This record gives sequence, C-alpha cells and structure tokens, in this order.
Amino acid sequence: MAKFEYVLAKTMDDAVRLLNEPDIRSIPLAGGTDVYVALRVNPVWFDRLVDIRRIPELNEISIEGDQFKLGAAVTFSHAIKNPILQRVAPFLVEACKTIGGPAVRNCGTFGGNVSNAAACADSLPSLVCLEAVAHLRSTKGERQLKVEDLVTGPHQTQIEPGELLTHFTFKVPPENARSCFIKIGRRKAQSISRLSIAVIGTVDAAGMVDYIRVCPGAAVATPVRFPKVEGVLLGKKPDKEAITAAADQLVADMIESTGRRWSTEYKEITLKAIAERSLTKIFLEDGYHVN
Amino acid sequence: MLINFTLNHKPVSIDIPTDITLSVMLREHLKLTGTKEACEIGECGACSVLLDGELVNSCLVAAPSVMGREVITIEGIHAEDGGPNDLQRNFIEKGAVQCGFCIPGMVIAGEALLAIKSEPSRLEIREALAGNLCRCTGYMQIVDAIETTAKERAEKPNLSKRER
Repeated sequence: MAKFEYVLAKTMDDAVRLLNEPDIRSIPLAGGTDVYVALRVNPVWFDRLVDIRRIPELNEISIEGDQFKLGAAVTFSHAIKNPILQRVAPFLVEACKTIGGPAVRNCGTFGGNVSNAAACADSLPSLVCLEAVAHLRSTKGERQLKVEDLVTGPHQTQIEPGELLTHFTFKVPPENARSCFIKIGRRKAQSISRLSIAVIGTVDAAGMVDYIRVCPGAAVATPVRFPKVEGVLLGKKPDKEAITAAADQLVADMIESTGRRWSTEYKEITLKAIAERSLTKIFLEDGYHVN
Repeated sequence: MLINFTLNHKPVSIDIPTDITLSVMLREHLKLTGTKEACEIGECGACSVLLDGELVNSCLVAAPSVMGREVITIEGIHAEDGGPNDLQRNFIEKGAVQCGFCIPGMVIAGEALLAIKSEPSRLEIREALAGNLCRCTGYMQIVDAIETTAKERAEKPNLSKRER
C-alpha cells in the first residue's frame, strides 16, 4: 500500500480546499526537490501531496506599477530567464543561478525555498533585502507577512497547516540601485552555501549612501537584515574605510546573535571578506557581480 | 493510480502506487533501467531524464505528476537504426565512457544543453553538467564529446533528429 496519496490541484481554490480537507494531513508539492530529499531520511509526515505546480497564477512573474509579483511555483530556471527580474533585482537572479545544478533549478521553486526555510537557502537573503512580502491563503482568507518575519528558525516558518503560500511581492528597488550576491560553497556548482550575502544600495547626488540593505545567509538562524550595519553606511560616503567598518559591524552582530560557536573562527573571517567584497562591488565597482 | 503520459514519443498508460518517484516508475514498473539511481537526493544526476524537454532528476519527481506530460529517457535517445546517435558515438570516440554508470545522465544533460544552445562554450558545457557526477573520467572527455557534437550539428543544421 502506498505510504501517501497524491492529488493534482488545478486552481488556487482547489489547492486550498484540498489542503484543508479534514482527517487527511495534506502538504503542498511544488518542485519536490526538498520533499523527496526529506522523505529519504524522515518518516512520512503527511498523508497526501497536493501538487500545486500547474496552477497558472502560481507560475506568474509580473510587474504592476512599483510592485513586483513572483508566483510561489516559479522555478529558479524560469526566474533566471526573466528579463524583468534581471533588470529590477539582478542579485536575486544571481542567487538563483547558484542553487543546485540545472536539473534542480528546473524544478525548485521560490515558494519551496522559502517554506523549507533552510538557514542556507539561497533565494532568501535577496528576498529579505527586497523586503519581500509573502502572501498566504487559507479557508479563513488571505494574510501577508514579510519574508523576514515568516521564517522563524531553521526549517521553521509561520505558515500554518492548510495555508498555501501563493506569491511574493516587493517594491521595485530604485532605478539607480546596485546589488550583489556572493555565495561561498565547497565547490563551484551544486553546493550548499557555507555563507552568503546579499546587498543592495544607492548613493545620492552628493555620493552619500541613501539606501542600503544587507542580509547574510547561513550566518545566523534566519536570514534577517542587520540595521546596525546599514546604519554604519547610511548618510556616509561609501569609501574603503566605511565599508570595512560596516563589515566589522556585521561580524560583531553575527557573533552577538549566535555566540562563539565551533564555526565562528571560520565565519568571522569569511563573512567580513564577503561583506567587504559585495559592498565594494556595489559602491566602488560596477555592481551586479556574483562570486 | 492510473496515469497517462508520453514516454519516448509513445503514449503510455500505467497503474502505479501514488508514493513512488519517476525514477522508480521507470526502472521498476516500466523496466527501463537505463535511467540509474544512485544518491536519490538530486546530487549525482545519474537519474536525469527530460520532462517536457527540461532536464530533471527523476528521483525527485513524483511519478503521478508526469500525467499528461512528455518524458524522454536514455532509451529514447538513439539513431534511426536503434544504434547510438551522434552524441553517443562521440562519447565512445572521445573515451568519455569508463564504468558507464553516469553516462545515461550525462548524455541526457548533453542533449538538454544542445537543444537550447547550438554552439555552447566549454564553460557552458561544464555548467550544464554541474549536476552530473562522474567518478572515472575527470569530465574532460565528456566535455570534448559534447563540444564535438555541437560543432558537427552546427555544420549540418538541416540534419533531422532521426538522421543523427
């Protein structure tokens, strides 16, 4: 006998209804790249997979006014090829390119990456910098949460059973924004992040930083912005000294959050290096670059 | 659960358990053992197949989710006479095959690349193979085989798939 059932949801209403049917524990299935890996090591924790991958709305990428909309079932391959996303959030596209290999990117989705909520999830730091909002739908209605708040711990989110993550929205960053994503892995491709960082910022007419978002990945329990680090740069000329001060602040904040762990000896040096490298890239070089 | 899909250009209808992966359906239920299973966590690429023309790890795809879709396995890649096609011949000629376990996945990943890029650089070929592990060859000969095939196909652009 099969250990779990499978059902294909054709519409969002269909998916929400199926996820909320009583007496059967249902979870959404999108790309399967996390679910089937987890099934290899964990006992089955659900009774039924509700396949949401073919729901048209969940696969949409669109822009309306200053709001960018990204469907939860959009795959990383789909995102990488999207010219609008390449223009408004190149660091998110660069992050997607570092996820798995081509086969994993053809299946893995933003909704899956965020709801799986691994500390090392590569789409999260850029989404947090963009202040992306997750849209959730259930039989009770809809609610919205910032991605930064949605993820509460490693593999823990505020998504409740029966709730469907439908899409993300974020405000299109300023036209003159430059961004960068850097990932440190054990090999060039198909690797899990040891550490990563996403940064986006702008300078005003006088050359002073007037917009800056910094979010490292795999540094602390969840991907969050570091306001003190942003504060070091805001209103300042982003020269080498200011960038070093910001990187030092980031390392200090990381250690304050995690304490000195076995990996700190490595992470404090590496995080400082990628913080300096990424901030240099956006403020003193051409931006947009990765690795 | 009864599912219908297209497998190597032919319609298939099969009753399967709902909890199996595409790789298990192919190997154990359809007896197409050219698709290999090794890591079963999407790391090694031995189970690579084309799903609606896109490269996927069949060990991470729910078997029932291929309903109505098109699957191409290594058994579906051959010359018209059933022998090796140009890419497969180049794998042999360039010495790209040693133990052979990863090769079905490598050929599928190569075909997935050549379908979207007619003249890939060596770097692009390496990136396309990033999810396929080979513990024998060191990859050079595999990259050579794909590169040579791309050049040959570019020289004869009118060659249909059947004539390769």
